[in-house]
Amino acid sequence: MDLILNVLKGLWESSGFATLEWQNLVMILVSFVFLFLAIHPKFRFEPLLLVPIAFGILLANLPGAGLMDDLTAGQIFGGDGSLAGQGEHWYDSGVLRIIYAGVKSNIFPCLIFMGVGAMTDFGPLLSNPVSLLLGAAAQLGIYVAFLIAIALGFNPQEAASIAIIGGADGPTAIYLTSKLASHLLAPIALAAYSYMALIPLIQPPIMKALTTKKEREVKMTQLRKVTKTEKIIFPVIVLVLVALILPSVAPLLGMFMLGNLFRECGVVDRLSDVAQNALNNIIVILLGVTVGATANGQSFLQVQTLKIVALGLIAFCFSTVGGVLLGKLLYLVTGGKINPLIGAAGVSAVPMAARVAQNEGRKYNPTNFLLMHAMGPNVAGVIGSAVAAGFLLIMFQ
Amino acid sequence: MNMTPKLLGVFAQIYGSNDAMDFGKAALVAVVGFITVLVILAIIALFIKAIAAIFDKTSKAAKAPAAPTPAAPAAPAAQPAQPGVELVGVDEPTAAVIMAIVSHQSGISLDRLAFKSIKLSEDK
Repeated sequence: MDLILNVLKGLWESSGFATLEWQNLVMILVSFVFLFLAIHPKFRFEPLLLVPIAFGILLANLPGAGLMDDLTAGQIFGGDGSLAGQGEHWYDSGVLRIIYAGVKSNIFPCLIFMGVGAMTDFGPLLSNPVSLLLGAAAQLGIYVAFLIAIALGFNPQEAASIAIIGGADGPTAIYLTSKLASHLLAPIALAAYSYMALIPLIQPPIMKALTTKKEREVKMTQLRKVTKTEKIIFPVIVLVLVALILPSVAPLLGMFMLGNLFRECGVVDRLSDVAQNALNNIIVILLGVTVGATANGQSFLQVQTLKIVALGLIAFCFSTVGGVLLGKLLYLVTGGKINPLIGAAGVSAVPMAARVAQNEGRKYNPTNFLLMHAMGPNVAGVIGSAVAAGFLLIMFQ
Repeated sequence: MNMTPKLLGVFAQIYGSNDAMDFGKAALVAVVGFITVLVILAIIALFIKAIAAIFDKTSKAAKAPAAPTPAAPAAPAAQPAQPGVELVGVDEPTAAVIMAIVSHQSGISLDRLAFKSIKLSEDK
């Protein structure tokens, strides 16, 4: 009888139930909510991002699984920072921790940018260069969040890293944070990607509040036809120009423009296909799961994290406000030719933000087709957030 | 060659600090940062305008000598909508977009698709 009891006791003690803490339980519930929002047909919020992130959160909060265990100087630390054992080799770390090296080293963000570049059609931007101004205005949230973060007592590097969430650009947020405040990488990356996935929830109320029905109904005229040569010249020249002014963003912007050149030059279709599909999908899986796995309950559920999450939301909202307000100004200046809703797409988040502008436009005018018009500010936002990150690196690195 | 504007470099030396920052300094950094993004993207916009102007001029110049020759029959792809398609409450550019989407989604080229009518189902 004692033997059976001892075996049962041993089983209990080695099970996750014995070490499960309330913080893990909360994060497991958060992961369930995210999975629900991603999978349920009524919501389907960016499932490509949200499913891997949510599952990463779930994996990281299973007690005793050790998927995010970190080997440092011969000792293995659990995802919550507690000592978990001894180790000798890098592969003694948890499997997700090893993959996470791709995030910390900025390999994943740069490769994701190459995939995004290969999927990006600069045609709408080239046919309507005013889009670039909308992409710039939609970086407003970065600077508003920076000011609030400073007021809340974060140091400038931390404030800049938190603020970049407002760029709505996951790779850029990871890139900047790993250089300025790597200790905040987990909450910032998670906030950036989660908010990007939740854009269909965050943006529409702001867009509606700031625009009139008449403005939302504006139908924009057909875009100018852009030649293939223009599309080939654009990524090369913009990279040279921006990287010479802000060299610190050359890795991100360089990979972005390389991917775009693959797409536009027309002589490396196989490379373009791999960058857009296979490679990009692989990196999304690895990045999504490991970013989610950084959200260990014990280290994540802290006041500072909640502040970062709140500041990220503020940054996102103000970025949307900036884009829509400039959209309204352009509506007035052009005599009603520009629908201010496309300004909201200036927060990068390609192509989710453009899709939101399209859906909102169609709610008020079913014959409206804003998607291509919104793609201009959308891709401009990618360049804008990279430039904003470059400025912050110059200031605080 | 680093073209980081000297002014920006000097500004970074004065205001780019690792220590705690007072709100006034932070506000100045935020304003300069926002203006920097606007200016750089405006420069790119001007560059695009210049390129577009050059290409438009070139294409017009290329088209000009061809003008005296007899006009070739219009290519079917250039038409905004297929002839004979009944459009109800839908303008031609919108109809063309719908046809392009249907063609793209179904994987059937436009010359093999026949549209009878495109009607607006919801009246405002």
